[in-house]
Amino acid sequence: MTLELSQLTQSVHSMGQAMAERQRAHADLVDLARHWLAEFAGQGRMLQHPARAVQAAIPTNEPLDAVHPLPPTPERFTVAAADGSQIQPDRHGAALYYLINIGSLVYRHGSGEAPEARSESTLGYTEDDLYEDGIPVSGNLLDIRRDLGELRRLADACRSEPSEPTVALVDGSIVLWVLRDRPTGARSRKVAAYLDQLDRIRRSGAAVGGFISRPGYSEVTHLLYLASLNGDTKKAREQPNPMEHLSDRAIFTTLPPGARTALFISPKEINQEDYAQQSHLVHFFYLNVVKEGQKPVIARVELPAWVAEDADRLNLIHGAIVAQARITGDYPYALARADELAYISSQERAALEDMMTTELIRAGVQPAPSPKATYKRLTRRGF
Amino acid sequence: MTDRDLHVGRVLRASTRGFALGCAVMQPDIPAFGSFVRADGQSSGEAIYGLIYDVSVEDDPFVRQFIGANPSDEVVRDQRENRQVPIEVRVLAVGCGAEETIRHCLPAQPPVTLDWLFLCSNEEIRTFTERFDYFRLVLEAREVPADELLAASLRVAAAARPRSERESFLVEAGRELVRLLAGEPTRLEGLLRRLRA
Repeated sequence: MTLELSQLTQSVHSMGQAMAERQRAHADLVDLARHWLAEFAGQGRMLQHPARAVQAAIPTNEPLDAVHPLPPTPERFTVAAADGSQIQPDRHGAALYYLINIGSLVYRHGSGEAPEARSESTLGYTEDDLYEDGIPVSGNLLDIRRDLGELRRLADACRSEPSEPTVALVDGSIVLWVLRDRPTGARSRKVAAYLDQLDRIRRSGAAVGGFISRPGYSEVTHLLYLASLNGDTKKAREQPNPMEHLSDRAIFTTLPPGARTALFISPKEINQEDYAQQSHLVHFFYLNVVKEGQKPVIARVELPAWVAEDADRLNLIHGAIVAQARITGDYPYALARADELAYISSQERAALEDMMTTELIRAGVQPAPSPKATYKRLTRRGF
Repeated sequence: MTDRDLHVGRVLRASTRGFALGCAVMQPDIPAFGSFVRADGQSSGEAIYGLIYDVSVEDDPFVRQFIGANPSDEVVRDQRENRQVPIEVRVLAVGCGAEETIRHCLPAQPPVTLDWLFLCSNEEIRTFTERFDYFRLVLEAREVPADELLAASLRVAAAARPRSERESFLVEAGRELVRLLAGEPTRLEGLLRRLRA
């Protein structure tokens, strides 16, 4: 053991004190934010333009403090969920490769049938796989490939579903995160490929949403601060925002069980540009997924405009997410299973690398992990 | 599907005394306590025979959440049919050899990891239980509920025979037990009682 816990005693003690102090200050801010939410509830339309300018949540035409109770769900409906995991290329490893594993579960509510569970893996090892415009495919580039794989799987699942109402669920945001250091053309192609899959889901008749557990966004609190400044974007940029670190989740813990907030629009630039042009402008709401009598669990749900603006699809996704979350208590069952189906354990990774080593030797290639990798393996064995 | 094709699971761990295997799901007829199973031996045409003496479902924190929560049929079927619920089956080795020359003894070599284990067909069970030499292997095995296992295996073996032969088969088996357990009357009585049950 290398961690000297005795050296950390004082810091951990101070941390406890600081956390308690922060929680007290936090409670005051939450009260203020809720007060503003009620006070400025009717000013959504006036705030739309300034909110866009300062990257705060953009209001729709409904009151900011609107609360929508849990809608009824059809007797039979389908939820398809997908999640992915990856092995990043490791230049210290025996061979350069990446692996993406997409897990998915198609759960047909009211059918009594066993859900359809799948895991699909893609191994990247050719020059074309491993490099994109001369840049190694890892980090953000690999994340994008995984996100695209998840959405493609969902689009396939929605297309092959019978006529029941269907909801496709992604784990996390549906606003693709693409680093700005990519050339503009390459960036646009990636977003276009993602939006194509959203189109396929739309054409299938299904609804789609991204489920974000314990969201840390401060977009609605930023909007409330802007509202308190009467929409003055100059002041909003220049003055310190007391709500800067207050999450939206904190102010919505008063939502009744199963209820959702008003709809807002994501202020992300990529959403305002690429998504909006293709009619996929991403909206979001917050939702209390638990049953009556339980401590609130607030999640954020993101959905494209064509779901947000269609009352049937909006109610379906609202009801379906709550129905799914209540199977486990507070998190959609199908997403939990999709994560399980996507997960690559260290034993599986070791087995894959053993397979590769054998195959490389058979093909006359001597696999050689770097000295660093070799010593890490030796020193960390058993820990 | 013939009985010969009925897979019980794949070998997880093995020794010459017995082996453990993993199953994805518990099916109604397999694996069951006292069933005769067969794994292919390492030499061609050789088989290793065993008796299932323990079936355990490993703890799973995800499943625990649904205990008492009245889960839907979809969840129950997903947990049972799709998830890799770790069911471990333990087998006591009681014989080896080809069908015509089965020997009631421990195999020279255990099956190999990930080998399939099959449920024995009625014909195989009848052939295996033509003699009772395997009784001693079961009665002397320490890690298994020996008497329960032997009684269960004899009930399986009787059921693999035509109805008209079942009673005489069990009477013969009882005679062999009287001979083997002459010095342990209480144990013998308990075993015979189980056979009659």
